[in-house]
Parts: sequence; C-alpha cells; structure tokens
Amino acid sequence: MQVAFPSLDFFRALQARMQTDRERFKRLGYFDTTFGIRVITGHTAHEYVLAFEVFDCTTVREVGALAADAVDFILEGDLDAWVEMLRNIQQHGAADAAHSINTLTHLGDRMRVLYDDPDGHDKLYRFAESVQEFFNLAAQLDIAFPQLDPQPAATA
Amino acid sequence: MAYLSTIDFFEDKAFIDRYQYTLRTGELDLSWMQAATEKVHCEPQNARRGLTFRDLDVGSYGFTAMPELIRQNRSFAPRGAEIPPGTPDLQAEVNRKSEVWAYNIEGYYEEAMSRQWNATTDIPWEELSRHELPEAIGKAYAQLLTFLTEVEMIATDVPAKWLGRLNADFFEVKNFIATQAMDEARHAEVFRKRALTTGWGLMRASLANERNLKFLRDADSFAEASLTLHLQAEGMVLTLFRFSELISPTELDKKMFRLVMQDEARHVGYGMQHLKWVLDHFPEKREIIHRHLDEAENFVFGGGYAMEVLEPFIILSGKGMKRANIEQGLKITAQFNLKQVDEYFERLDKCGLPERRERSKLAQFNEMARAQLAAL
Repeated sequence: MQVAFPSLDFFRALQARMQTDRERFKRLGYFDTTFGIRVITGHTAHEYVLAFEVFDCTTVREVGALAADAVDFILEGDLDAWVEMLRNIQQHGAADAAHSINTLTHLGDRMRVLYDDPDGHDKLYRFAESVQEFFNLAAQLDIAFPQLDPQPAATA
Repeated sequence: MAYLSTIDFFEDKAFIDRYQYTLRTGELDLSWMQAATEKVHCEPQNARRGLTFRDLDVGSYGFTAMPELIRQNRSFAPRGAEIPPGTPDLQAEVNRKSEVWAYNIEGYYEEAMSRQWNATTDIPWEELSRHELPEAIGKAYAQLLTFLTEVEMIATDVPAKWLGRLNADFFEVKNFIATQAMDEARHAEVFRKRALTTGWGLMRASLANERNLKFLRDADSFAEASLTLHLQAEGMVLTLFRFSELISPTELDKKMFRLVMQDEARHVGYGMQHLKWVLDHFPEKREIIHRHLDEAENFVFGGGYAMEVLEPFIILSGKGMKRANIEQGLKITAQFNLKQVDEYFERLDKCGLPERRERSKLAQFNEMARAQLAAL
C-alpha cells in the first residue's frame, strides 16, 4: 500500500515494519528515546513525535506544536532534504555515505538536530544505529512523494 | 606475594578433621542455611526488558538504601550477603558513594549490556574490496585511526585500573565500568583493524596526546579520573566520532563510527550523571573540580589541536590536498572544533557547573576562534 510523505501514515508504516523486523532491532539493543520530527514545507511544518521503548516503537503521533512535547531532540529539515534522504534510502536499500542521519545533521546545513538538554541530544548518538536502521526501513515502503516546488524555506 | 594466609590449611588438624568427618558421616553443618539475610523474590517489572538491576533494588540488596559511606563491607561479599567475622579487609580505596555514583547507573549498565557489538562480525569488512582510497585520503585516514587507537587504549586502561579499587558494594558502578573497559577495548580493536586495511597501516603516535593520556591515567582519585575521562575526554571524542562519521570515506566507515559513538555517548551519559550526583551530594567539591578542569583543559587543548590530529581532519573534510580542498577542510574543521568545545560546556552547564565558561581558557580560546571563523 502506498503511503504519502510527510504523513502520520508514513511513520505508522515504519512503526509496523519495525515490529515485523523485531529481531533486527533486538540485536541492536535497548532503544529508549522519544524524539520529534519536523518537516518544513514552505512556511508550514509537519511535526511528529516518535517514542521508542526497549525494542519497539511504542508511539507515533502527529502534533500541532512540537515545542509543547517533552522530546529528547528534534530532527528538522526542509521537505526536499527529507525527500532526498528517503529517495536515497529507497535507491540503495539503506542510506549511503552522504545520506546518513548524522552526516545530514552534523553541520546543520542540510538537516538540523535541535535540543534543550545535552543529555537528550546525546541520545541520538547513544541509539545512533537504531535510529538509522529505523529510517532505513523506508526502503521497504512504497512512498508517494510530493511534488517539490522551489519555495523559500521557513525559519526554525 | 604480599598477602599470606595466617593458617596453613594443609597442616591444620581441625580443618582437615572437619572435612574428613563430613565425607565420612554425611552429617552436614548447614549453619550457612541460617544466614541472616533478607528473603526476597524479585521479578521483572517490564517483561519485555527482562530482569534488570532496577528490579533488584530492594531492601539491603538495593542501591537506593545504600549509605554514603560504606563502613561494614570491606570484602568481596556481595551487597546484602551475611559477612562472617574475620573476613579480610581488602582496603578498597573508594568507599564513598558520592565518589562513584551516578543517577541511572543501573540503566546505563543494562543499556551497555544490550547494545554490545562485535568488531569482527558486525562491520561489513567484505565491502572493503569495493573501495580504494586516494593516497592523501588513505594516509590521512590511517593517521586518524592511529590517533583513535591510541586514545582508546588508554580509555580501556583507566576504568580497568579503578575497577578493583572500588568498594564491592558499588556493584552497579563496577559492572558499568567493566562494560566500558570492554567497549573501549573493542574500539581500539576496530580502529586498529581498519587502519591495517587502508593499505597504509598505522602512522605516527601523537606526542601531545600521549601527555594528555598520561594525565588521564594518573588521576589521583576516581572522581578526577571520571571527570576528565567520561565527561571531558569522551565528550570531546563523541563529537569527534560524529565528525569522523561525517567525513568517513565509505558506508562501512560510517557504520563503524555509528557503533563506536553509541558506546561513547553512554560513557558520557555516566560522566554527566556522576558529576551531577557529586555536585548534588558534595557541593564543597566544586572548587576541586574547577582546579582539575583547569589542568585537564590545558592537556586536552594541547592534544586535540596537535598537528597530527588537526591535519588529517583538514584533508579528510576537504576531501583532498589541492588548495580548494584545504580551504574547505579548514572551514569544516574549524566548525568541528567549535562544536566540540561548545558541547563540552553545554554538558557542564547541564551538570550544574555553568560558571565554568567564565574561568576557562579553553572557552576564551573558543570564542576567539569563533570570531576568526566568522571573519573568513
């Protein structure tokens, strides 16, 4: 079934794939973090909260304002950066050397990691391989990507 | 042999008679069955997580009720066991809970155990044949891997050195730093293996870093060792691993750095939660901590900004040695250095040491470097 990106259904589909692939995630170990996703499209943003506990993705929610949620960190990027990453994952079966989450966010030019608490920020790295593998599950989805328009990006 | 038994058991008639009597008659003593200990039945609170140390935090077996000063247990007796009279004093050097404890220490241990990985089989080494690195990149990468192997060897030695010096009642901390020693040994292993697959082998050890590593190893107390190893050095190495993931030449290398950064971030987590615990329970140590950081920052500045560390970064992040590559590499490396120091001070802020920026030469230097970068 095709899922649109960005949408709650997309993240629910990743959650379901993670459940199916439980042994792979169990091998990676405990995965205990709650983080936010922000996809900026023009002057608006689609925001989601993903919660992970033990070996599972326990919660996927779309939210009106991420600032109101207690999250460890937020992964933020313009729509075109997210789409490029997901297309790359689909093309290679997993993110290639230029499209891993850490590579895209480290300098803050393609995507950004936002946080208030450095301890929460460090959780992105404590669970780095699990986070990457979670997004790599997008390779198994049939994704309907939006038409990308050359719009000015919103400020964070 | 510094320690000798006060009894020669082979010549002790009472001991041998008792042993032979038991074998001959089958009459058992069974006094140990009357051990004056709590009878408990612990169960997992979350079946998906399994039986954790947190599930065992009950009564005299638990860590919540553990006193600040461990006076009673001077032995290897596990916390909660009956200690017979005459048990030898092992003279543990660290007997104050506030010198070792960290919020969520039991959680860090369980996470460490569940997230172990294998440098031999979890890295897709078979993909190496698909990648051949240009000479400058290969040599720069081999130099970075040499430096990282050197660093990880000391990071193995330090927790291992302190492990046997902590009172046995600090069971969860001892187990955690045992996992850390294993993690760091695996990091030294994976970096050495990767260096020897580049075609260039190992390059040059770093004099400036050897000084810093000696400072880390020779800390006078566990609290000093933890402050400089877990929070400062590993915090900076964590940023370095993320930067190394960014500039890694292949997907294999990206995976390697993601796996090592997971372990490193966990150690930093312990370091942060330990410093918070110290400042919450031992506020008079604040000045001692500052004095130790004064010298630690001097060493880390000398080590982290040394030529043999900085130059490979410039070449790797600029992806070559042409003028344009070097200029690009200089900018990216300068950004990395700023980020590394910023994140170190963010962590200290969070731990309750926000005034550190005011008295730190490293913070002053970082601001100068930030202004220079902005002017480029």
